[in-house]
Amino acid sequence: MGAVDLSIDGLVIYYMLLIIPLGLMLWLHIPMVGKTLVSIVRMTLQLAFVGLYLQVVFKINSPWLNSLWLVVMVGVADFSIIRGCGLRLSRFASPLFAALVVGTAVPLLFFVGPLLKRPNLMDAQYVIPIGGMILGNCLRADIIGIKNFYSSLQKGEKAFLHSLAQGARLKEAILPYLRDACEAALMPTVATIATIGLVALPGMMTGVILGGANPVTAIKYQIAIMIAIFTGTAITVVLAIIMTIKTSFTSYGVLDSNCFRK
Amino acid sequence: MKQTSEITRATANTQQYRKDTPCIEMEDVTVRFDGKTVLEKFSLLVARGEKVVLTGPSGRGKSTVLRSILGFVVPESGTIRILGQPLSPGAIWRLRTMIGYVPQEPDLGSGSVRHWLERPFSYRANKELKKNLAKLPEMFHQFLLPLDLLEKDVETLSGGEKQRVAIVLALLLQRPILLLDEPTSALDEASRRKLTELLCSSSDLTVLIVSHEPELLRAADREIRLS
Repeated sequence: MGAVDLSIDGLVIYYMLLIIPLGLMLWLHIPMVGKTLVSIVRMTLQLAFVGLYLQVVFKINSPWLNSLWLVVMVGVADFSIIRGCGLRLSRFASPLFAALVVGTAVPLLFFVGPLLKRPNLMDAQYVIPIGGMILGNCLRADIIGIKNFYSSLQKGEKAFLHSLAQGARLKEAILPYLRDACEAALMPTVATIATIGLVALPGMMTGVILGGANPVTAIKYQIAIMIAIFTGTAITVVLAIIMTIKTSFTSYGVLDSNCFRK
Repeated sequence: MKQTSEITRATANTQQYRKDTPCIEMEDVTVRFDGKTVLEKFSLLVARGEKVVLTGPSGRGKSTVLRSILGFVVPESGTIRILGQPLSPGAIWRLRTMIGYVPQEPDLGSGSVRHWLERPFSYRANKELKKNLAKLPEMFHQFLLPLDLLEKDVETLSGGEKQRVAIVLALLLQRPILLLDEPTSALDEASRRKLTELLCSSSDLTVLIVSHEPELLRAADREIRLS
């Protein structure tokens, strides 16, 4: 038993529901009607494109094509994180890309391999949605972590330089900033883990239930995906900061102002 | 007073260098920020044990001299040598362990004063100096700091207290060279006198100070005016 398909006509009529929030915005003169309309159009076009593309990807189910799709997703996440943190693309793109690949691949392959025991590790049905969920969460956490790390260093430059003057090696001087950044990045995921099922039914679980599986199976999937997300997030945040250090500090251990976008 | 002299007596690290090697040498150093020249062909020589005061109007690069010696500012041209060793990316980490530094208006970050004072002793370069922390009560007494200040949050400290805590740490780290940037700007008269007394009590300690404090100027061996 799979999820009941939605008819195009029904979905078009369902769009009418948006009249309510748009009407409220107009009534209260909230200046975001234009932005909301653009966002809705973007969502529709993006999802239509991804839906068509994924249909092809699922049909072919080639490990190479699936890997390529994941690489594209990692590339988009890489670009979004660097832009979101106000950093220079030329300096951060490669180390951050590597951190995202490792952070996504480790929990994903353990999920599809030892846990699901799929013969094909790159099976589109599992790799693409699970990889997307891990990567999406890594993106959010990386933006928080990397932004926190570099902005704390900029704000606390005097204290940082003072610790270098006290004889700290670079890794010793950055340790408190790395610790704070990781805490900030991982805190939302830890809070989500603690309240999951109580505050809201998570997307993965809802999807599995809609797909026709029983709730116990859905819960097992949800537990596994939370472990995957937390592991992936921790790996990418720590790796992303460690791997970008080489490009963001001068050989004298001083934060290079050229690593920030003007 | 005896214990204080022991703390400021920085001999161990300098013994490996010849006695006649200048502690700090700057030769034709030029520093520019965003096209603005801060130092141009600046030269300086500070001998071992010398106490030198840098003076001059603000914006003439006094703090930049100290920051260049620490490798925080890389000169466009010229050479800097510490105890005869040229400043380079490979040598900077070791050379910084020869220098104690107190910046102007030190930023102590966050956490307790005790934590701030203990942290540098967890660095690999300072682990052997951890025993110096036993001298904290005596040092606090010397600088008229109450001992209960150790448990206070550094963010609640006044400018003068921060400055004195930073000076105490620089002395506990027992470096052969001390760089002090306006160390008395927030100190009362008694603390200023104590600092001058401490700095001058050790003949081995090399000190380069940015200051306009008359007491320090009188006690120093030399004044270099940047104009």
